[in-house]
Amino acid sequence: MINQNTLDSWSRYTPVQRMKRYGAFLAITLVVVWALRSIDVIWEWVWDAPVQLLDLFGRMIPPDPTNLPSILEAIWQTINIATIATFIAVFLSLPVAYIAAQNTTPNRFTLWIGRFILVSSRSVNTIIWALLFVAIFGPGIIAGIIAIMFRSIGFLGKLLGEAIEEIDPNPIEALEACGASRFKIVLYGIVPQVLPAFFAISILRWDINLRESTVLGLVGAGGIGIILQGAIDTFQWTEVSMVLLTILALVIFGEVVSTFLRRRIL
Amino acid sequence: MTANLDYWRKPSMIKTPSLRYGIYIAAITYFVLTVATLPIDWQRAAEGIERAGRIFSGAFPPNFDRSELLITGFLESLKIAILASAGGMLLSVPLAFMAAGNISPKPIYYLGRGIIIIARSFHPVIVAIIFVKAVGFGPFAGALTLIVYSIGFVAKLLAERIEEIDFGQVEALRAAGAPFLSTMFYAITPQIMPRMVGLGIYQLDSNLRASAVVGIVGAGGIGSTLANAFGRYDYDFALAITMVIVGVILISEAFSGVIRKQLL
Amino acid sequence: MLEIKKLVKRYGAGAPVLKDLDLTVQGEQVMSIIGSSGAGKSTLLRCVNRLVEPTSGSIRLNGTDFTTLSTRELRFARRRVGMVFQGYNLVDRLTVMENVQSGRLGYISTWAALTRRFPKEDIRRAYELMERVGIAQYASKRADELSGGERQRVGVVRALMQRPEILLADEPTASLDPKTSEQIMALLRDLASELNLPVIINIHNVNEAKEYSDRIVGMRYGRIIFDDVPEALDAAQMDEIYSGTPSEDRKAQGASA
Repeated sequence: MINQNTLDSWSRYTPVQRMKRYGAFLAITLVVVWALRSIDVIWEWVWDAPVQLLDLFGRMIPPDPTNLPSILEAIWQTINIATIATFIAVFLSLPVAYIAAQNTTPNRFTLWIGRFILVSSRSVNTIIWALLFVAIFGPGIIAGIIAIMFRSIGFLGKLLGEAIEEIDPNPIEALEACGASRFKIVLYGIVPQVLPAFFAISILRWDINLRESTVLGLVGAGGIGIILQGAIDTFQWTEVSMVLLTILALVIFGEVVSTFLRRRIL
Repeated sequence: MTANLDYWRKPSMIKTPSLRYGIYIAAITYFVLTVATLPIDWQRAAEGIERAGRIFSGAFPPNFDRSELLITGFLESLKIAILASAGGMLLSVPLAFMAAGNISPKPIYYLGRGIIIIARSFHPVIVAIIFVKAVGFGPFAGALTLIVYSIGFVAKLLAERIEEIDFGQVEALRAAGAPFLSTMFYAITPQIMPRMVGLGIYQLDSNLRASAVVGIVGAGGIGSTLANAFGRYDYDFALAITMVIVGVILISEAFSGVIRKQLL
Repeated sequence: MLEIKKLVKRYGAGAPVLKDLDLTVQGEQVMSIIGSSGAGKSTLLRCVNRLVEPTSGSIRLNGTDFTTLSTRELRFARRRVGMVFQGYNLVDRLTVMENVQSGRLGYISTWAALTRRFPKEDIRRAYELMERVGIAQYASKRADELSGGERQRVGVVRALMQRPEILLADEPTASLDPKTSEQIMALLRDLASELNLPVIINIHNVNEAKEYSDRIVGMRYGRIIFDDVPEALDAAQMDEIYSGTPSEDRKAQGASA
């Protein structure tokens, strides 16, 4: 017999679950409040911010095209830095991905080395790499290209390694049964399976590197960043906005090209 | 039946030969030209190896003497990341709804997509410079920068998720006569909640990495400590800072992986 | 001639999957191995070319003992053993011709493999074999564009391209519909006599085994308990082969030991 009294209330969460949810919510709020209070914020400046931003924005209009030729040349250089660095990094990341993948690495030692290379490369931001290489090679695009290369190897190697780990092992078994050497097994069994992922990852990284290359110049590593930094330092805001527009165009160009390539190749 | 009994070539990826060779030639020309005309100071580069040796010997062992500076810098980066993630998530939700093609009217859709594209197009460092010029040096500029950075990423992916929802649930509620907000909370929010939480955790991790970098242009956090160290040739301190940055990133990555596994 | 003597395969410390197995195969016969799952059919086949490492025992193919070969010698020796798999095990994204030619990877140079410039005799032989099994028109098609039966034929041609001394087929028809299944079995039987090739087939369809083979071997929990012509396989023998559980078997063995 159903007792009428038990049927007129319903709640989505058990009391325990509700406590957990409130607890989590409270914790997050506390953390945010802590961050807000202990950070060195001068609140007058905060309220002043929208006014300042609009003022800055006003000084940037209209964009000034007088320096356009050198801006475009710098953009061209930026594209080259990104493209060449990505190209080289793609080749360098292949062996690293191979030894960092659990199903293809020769032994635990190489697995550890591969993982170490990838983690170090990924954890240090491109700009920080650029700082280092500007200190070593001096200002100029060599520092920029090598910085992009170093960062990209980690990105490419990690994703490629994961793609290698996800392959179907059955064709590999068949090739082993035929008596093929390790290299030929990689060539016929692994490469065809990871090829789509390989192209997608490489195109993606090229797109990201285009963006990264735009700011290399801010630490002296070549590209449009140098002109941007110069314009900002001399308060030529109309030139700044011109540079920003060309950067926007570059980013859109990169997206268009990578979407096109991805559709054609995959 | 088969004509050429001892000849076989793998069909090429690009069918028309003129196009194929055209692309090969264009690619080779591009590479030869650009590499040849790259403005590289080879002399300086060659000296670089020697300079690298000097820098690395100066960098070892890493110098942790000024660790309070390190810790303050790191904490500031952490706070920037927290505020940016919270603010970014808060702003991303309405923006994502605006930019979702299946529930948003056309003009608002274009506005939403436009905002997201502009937020994504500029590298956080550039955005940081602008904010520093507008609101002054310090972590506030950094937080604003990363809010923009977060919006560009989270709002885009959230909008895509909203566009992929099972619309039948919305239809059912509309058919029952539910008002717009109720429909949103009952039919849409539950479907996007897991993705939202996942993105929030990912973005917290991402912002922590980015906060180390925006400091280089004066927007607060450990990045400015690092830039100063490099500027003063304090390479051993710089190495200490970099090690801390890498360590924090690794911990944060592991942490967010654990939380994600807990939730899923 | 394939001679297997006292073959034992044990995984870890558990009961052995193959227990002191003896088997000899020669001439152009088609030999089917039947038995329930867990009988060890697949393990037995894979021990021959050491895709699974035997724990002890010897496996001699025309004089070469596979169990004592080094890694490099094993690679060369595997060329002499052709294998056809239940899941076809083709490289889906490669063309049929490339899949077929991968059977020759143990013979051709690295450069030829890289550039897909296969030796003329290999291409000629590939077209002959593909014509024979009926897939020559698919030479330049991607392997994943073919049906199951066609893919298995590619697998068969790949194995035959090795010019093997013996052909092993591990449940080659398990993923195929009944009609295609019979076609593949008939193909294997015909090829065995055309090429004077011993063929060992793992199969769970007993009727097909009876119809297409010269000799049936019945396995039960790691042992061969039936080895005779198909006509000798009656209902009582089948019950013997397919009955029981591993634990019952262990108890029975313990009792008689």
